[in-house]
Amino acid sequence: MLKLNNVSVNYGAFTAVKSINIDVSPGEIVVLLGSNGAGKTTTFDAISGLNKPISGEILLNDRNLVGVPPDQIVNLGIIQCAEGRKLFSGMSVEENLIMGGYVHRKKKSHVKRLLDEVYEMFPILQEKRNESAGSLSGGQQQMVAIGRALMGEPKYMLLDEPSMGLAPLIVEQMFEKIKQINESGTSILLAEQNANAALKIADRGYVFENGEIVVDGTAGELLSNEDVRKAYIGA
Amino acid sequence: MDILFQQLFNGLTIGSVYSLVALGLTLVYGILHIPNFAHGALYMMGGYITLTMMQSLGLHYWIAIFISVIVVGLLGVLMERLVFHHLRHAPPIHDKIAAIGMLLFLEAFAHSVWGADYLEMATPHGQVVSVFGITFTFQRIIIIVAAVLVMVALYTFLKKTYMGMTVIAMSQNRDGANLVGINTSKVAMLTFFISGALAAIAASLSSPINLVFPGMGHLVILKAFVIIIIGGMGSIPGAIVGGYILGFTESLGATYISSDYKDLIAFLLLVVILTVKPNGLFAKGGKA
Repeated sequence: MLKLNNVSVNYGAFTAVKSINIDVSPGEIVVLLGSNGAGKTTTFDAISGLNKPISGEILLNDRNLVGVPPDQIVNLGIIQCAEGRKLFSGMSVEENLIMGGYVHRKKKSHVKRLLDEVYEMFPILQEKRNESAGSLSGGQQQMVAIGRALMGEPKYMLLDEPSMGLAPLIVEQMFEKIKQINESGTSILLAEQNANAALKIADRGYVFENGEIVVDGTAGELLSNEDVRKAYIGA
Repeated sequence: MDILFQQLFNGLTIGSVYSLVALGLTLVYGILHIPNFAHGALYMMGGYITLTMMQSLGLHYWIAIFISVIVVGLLGVLMERLVFHHLRHAPPIHDKIAAIGMLLFLEAFAHSVWGADYLEMATPHGQVVSVFGITFTFQRIIIIVAAVLVMVALYTFLKKTYMGMTVIAMSQNRDGANLVGINTSKVAMLTFFISGALAAIAASLSSPINLVFPGMGHLVILKAFVIIIIGGMGSIPGAIVGGYILGFTESLGATYISSDYKDLIAFLLLVVILTVKPNGLFAKGGKA
């Protein structure tokens, strides 16, 4: 269980996340909805250890992660697939994926097996394995980013705006893949502006506004909530 | 024709030394995103430590180089730990000021320990060789071969091992490196070690054909900056190619134009290349 208790985080001098409570149980897909600047990415960076919260605790199975360095958080099985992808753009697709398996670097055959699994999930990446990651299209770069995160075998995967800048058809495929990743046993915390697509695959969700959680509930409840529909679905 | 070959050979020799120095500079630039002005002082320390090991302890040239590589590599790590690590959240100008501070400190240190004299480094490879009408000391062959071997080893390390790939990964995207579980502090230390080691190798190889003195790093580091600007800041192939371009231009320029203007040619080349390609020859594409 990944649990955030009263977590507040600063972004620069400004408190971007104010005393939020979130929990993700094993096997769930939980979505964080909210517009740009609502605090979703800041929350993710706090969980990943890139930005230390000013108060509150982040618990992974009752162990507090506040103050644990980012590389150790990855070792504990919480892996973020960041907004803007943060790929190694000059390295080849395969090198990016291999770096994703850095936590398993001592087990070469294991890395190779994970690589085959990622190629099976995204066959296009195998075709483009020797091309530099920066030369791919947006959708393919997103696949590299997700593939790279999968290479670390996350127990909890934090997916930050995977649909950003992608064509609608590609977005749909991306969400199918996310569902597939979840079904193979990875819990997912997903930040999205595309509420409609996200809530279709999610179990539960939280709605962010100005750094605070204003609504939470099951996917069904959020889909039928008038305010959520108005603000994020436009119907 | 013989003069041309002789000069091409000389260009290859100095180009090898320049490339090694520029490689260390460009690796650290990739990690820190600041030019390490103190890199020339590491080069100078490399020359002195090799010389001291040979003269005081009577060690063989290659054993002395080995010790120098380790010591200067660790000096690089110390620089990172004591200074740059603490400045990682500070504005970039602080790193630059600190780098100049360390340059001045190390030079003053060399002055007080070894004095201001120009010292000679003996080499066991001083024999004169004549092939195809070119005459040179065997040391020059050693410089070229050793430099190429070091570059191949470095390339293999950076491209084929997980540890080496972390250096490239971190230079391309620091957050991305964190997110795959790389400890960026360790990578920074590793990079500074390699950078110092390369400077020590370059200085130890070239000292027998030059001299050892506290200011020996000045011109070399200025030229290394020219090289990494020509090659594209942070680019590894750029540092190698840039080093050889500069080596050839200098030695040919010294023969066919004037040896008085040898050092001017480097900077003239900089102006010309930056006019045509403002981002350098191997500039990285847009950052992701």
